[in-house]
Amino acid sequence: MPGPNALLFALIGVTIIVIAMVVIRPSVTMTREGKMLAFVGFCVLPILCGTLGASEHFERSKQTSFCLSCHIMEPWGKSLFVDDPAYIPAAHFQNHRIPADEACYTCHTNYAMYGSLKVKLNGLHHVYVNYFGKPMNPIHLYEPFNNRECLHCHEGARSFQSPTHVAMMDVLTSNQLSCVSSGCHDTIHNTAGQDKVKFWSPTP
Amino acid sequence: MKFKAMGMSKVLRVSGIMLILGLAIEAVSLMFNHPLSFMGFIIVGGTLLGVGVLLFLFSLVSIAQSNPTSAPK
Repeated sequence: MPGPNALLFALIGVTIIVIAMVVIRPSVTMTREGKMLAFVGFCVLPILCGTLGASEHFERSKQTSFCLSCHIMEPWGKSLFVDDPAYIPAAHFQNHRIPADEACYTCHTNYAMYGSLKVKLNGLHHVYVNYFGKPMNPIHLYEPFNNRECLHCHEGARSFQSPTHVAMMDVLTSNQLSCVSSGCHDTIHNTAGQDKVKFWSPTP
Repeated sequence: MKFKAMGMSKVLRVSGIMLILGLAIEAVSLMFNHPLSFMGFIIVGGTLLGVGVLLFLFSLVSIAQSNPTSAPK
C-alpha cells in the first residue's frame, strides 16, 4: 500500500493536471461541469495539497536531524553523545527514554494546551532567524525550563517515586523548584565543557 | 462579452501558472528534510498557492458582479 507521502505526491500530480487542462483550454469553463472542474482544480485541491504538505512538513520538523541540520545547533547535537550519565539529555537520548529520532522536540515542546502550536511558531522563528537574522549568542531558552515537560513522562513512574521526589512534589508541580536547579539534575547540554568529556559512539 | 471571456481566460492562466509553480515547489520541498525546504515551502510555495487561489476566487466574484443576471435567484 502506498504511504501518505506517495498519496500526497499523487494528489499534487492530479491537481497540476487538472489546472493544466483548464489553463490550456479555458473554454472548458463555459459549461457547468467545466466550471465545477475549475473550482475544484483551482480552489479545493490546491488548498488540500497545501494543508497536507504543511502538515507533513510540520511532522518532519519534529525530527532530531531537522533541528541539528542548522550548523549552529551542532554542539547541542554532540552533547547527546556525551559518555556520562550525569548529562541529562545524553542519558535520555542514549537509553531511549525519549524517542531518539524526536529527541529535541520531546523535551523542548510545551505540554500545555496549544503548546505544540506555540513551539512550532517558535521553530518557524528559529529557522527565519538562522537564515535571515542574527541568532542569539549565547543560545538560551525563551523562558526557564518548565518542570511540566519533565513530569509529563516522569510523574507517576515507579522510578520517580523516591521519597525525595514525593516529598517535594508540590514545589516541583508549581515550578517553585526547578528539576534542573543546582544540586539536582543540573548537568544539561553543557556545550562549553565538551573538550573535557568522552563521547559515546553507537554500534552501527 | 468577448472581452470578458478573454479577461477571464487570462486570469485563469495567471492563476493556474501560479498554482502549478506553487505545487511544484511543494513537491520539490517534500523531497528534502531540511529547514531551507521548509522555508521554501512556507514562504514561496505558500505565497504562490495563496495568491493563485485568491486570484481565481476574485475572478469569480468580479464576473458575478459584472453579470448580475447570472446570480442564483
